[in-house]
Amino acid sequence: MLENGTRWRRDDGWTFIEATLAIVIMAIMVLGLTIVLMAFREQLDRSWAVRVMDQYGNDVIENLTHDLRNATDVSVRPGNGNTSRIDVKYLDVMRRIPKVARYAADMRNVRITKDGQPLDPTFPPRKLGRGETYSIVQFTLTPYGADTDNQWEREDSFRRKASFISAAWDIKFKISYNRAAIKPGDHNWNVTKEYLNRVYVRNKNLIVKNGVTE
Amino acid sequence: MKWKKQKWGEDVGSIDFMQVVIGLLIVGVACVGTFQALEYGNDQLNYQMRYRKAMSIARSSVEYWQGRIHTDYPDEREMAGNINRGEESILDKMDPRTDVDDIYCNVSYGVIVPMRNVELGVDRSGNPLVTHFVIRSRVTWMEPGQSPTTPPHEVTFQGSMVTAAL
Repeated sequence: MLENGTRWRRDDGWTFIEATLAIVIMAIMVLGLTIVLMAFREQLDRSWAVRVMDQYGNDVIENLTHDLRNATDVSVRPGNGNTSRIDVKYLDVMRRIPKVARYAADMRNVRITKDGQPLDPTFPPRKLGRGETYSIVQFTLTPYGADTDNQWEREDSFRRKASFISAAWDIKFKISYNRAAIKPGDHNWNVTKEYLNRVYVRNKNLIVKNGVTE
Repeated sequence: MKWKKQKWGEDVGSIDFMQVVIGLLIVGVACVGTFQALEYGNDQLNYQMRYRKAMSIARSSVEYWQGRIHTDYPDEREMAGNINRGEESILDKMDPRTDVDDIYCNVSYGVIVPMRNVELGVDRSGNPLVTHFVIRSRVTWMEPGQSPTTPPHEVTFQGSMVTAAL
């Protein structure tokens, strides 16, 4: 012990090994957390983008289904790519005049329009991340059994009456989300979702088609 | 001259190695719990997407039978339904790179029931006339990781329809 009372050898405090171990453990934890957060960030971005796309797909199907249920007639023309231009004729019950709602796919802006206006102005999202794109793969309205993977439905459509086939329609909307590889070693990631609905346009076989409501 | 007595080595307010390790352990457990909760939330959102799709499939099935009743009346065998047979349809493709994890659903419909009302009148046999028909369709599927011993998830959709003659 020195004259000024300082003690060189004490039992309290940290040893060198303890300090080193603590630093190593903390470094491993921080590294692991950083890797997990980065991977999860990617997962979160993809998940959010797919859910935005899913919400839009359901929205389009619901809108068109609703209009078709109240329609008196439907006409379909080929559109851009694998899409259709759909004219839904319905009766304005208040004014007793026939009207037409026109659905089409705007492939350039990746959205479905009704009478020239986008069905959902918030889609696609304005601020997309690097390498993110959406694209419309298919937007068609076909008679029952004409465009289906179900073998039974295809065969059944030949057995059905013309009045049923002319009023039963299948809506098919396919939209795709793609994340291009940005960093070296990354891969492209693509998911395509399909939205289907079958609608029976009952007014087509009723007298209301001729504008008679009473 | 005397040196000032230093208080660097006092134990009050200090931390030792074991306390650091225990603290890191607690932080680690909290992080694991947080990420598990996020994963559970993600799984629930995926389940909701599948539920929505199943509802759409069930509704399409009802629409088909509504159309049939309206203009192309089904025969007796078709009116009996196919509740124990059903047809398989794809519900969710999951990982787009493989088909192994695709989820399939079973689509079936129950007996198409004619609803009679005596106020409309009676037919030659004395039975009340039919006012409308009730159609019920059902979609069932198993979630990923679900035990085969548990009942499948189910969506039922009901609709009604009259024939064009009515």
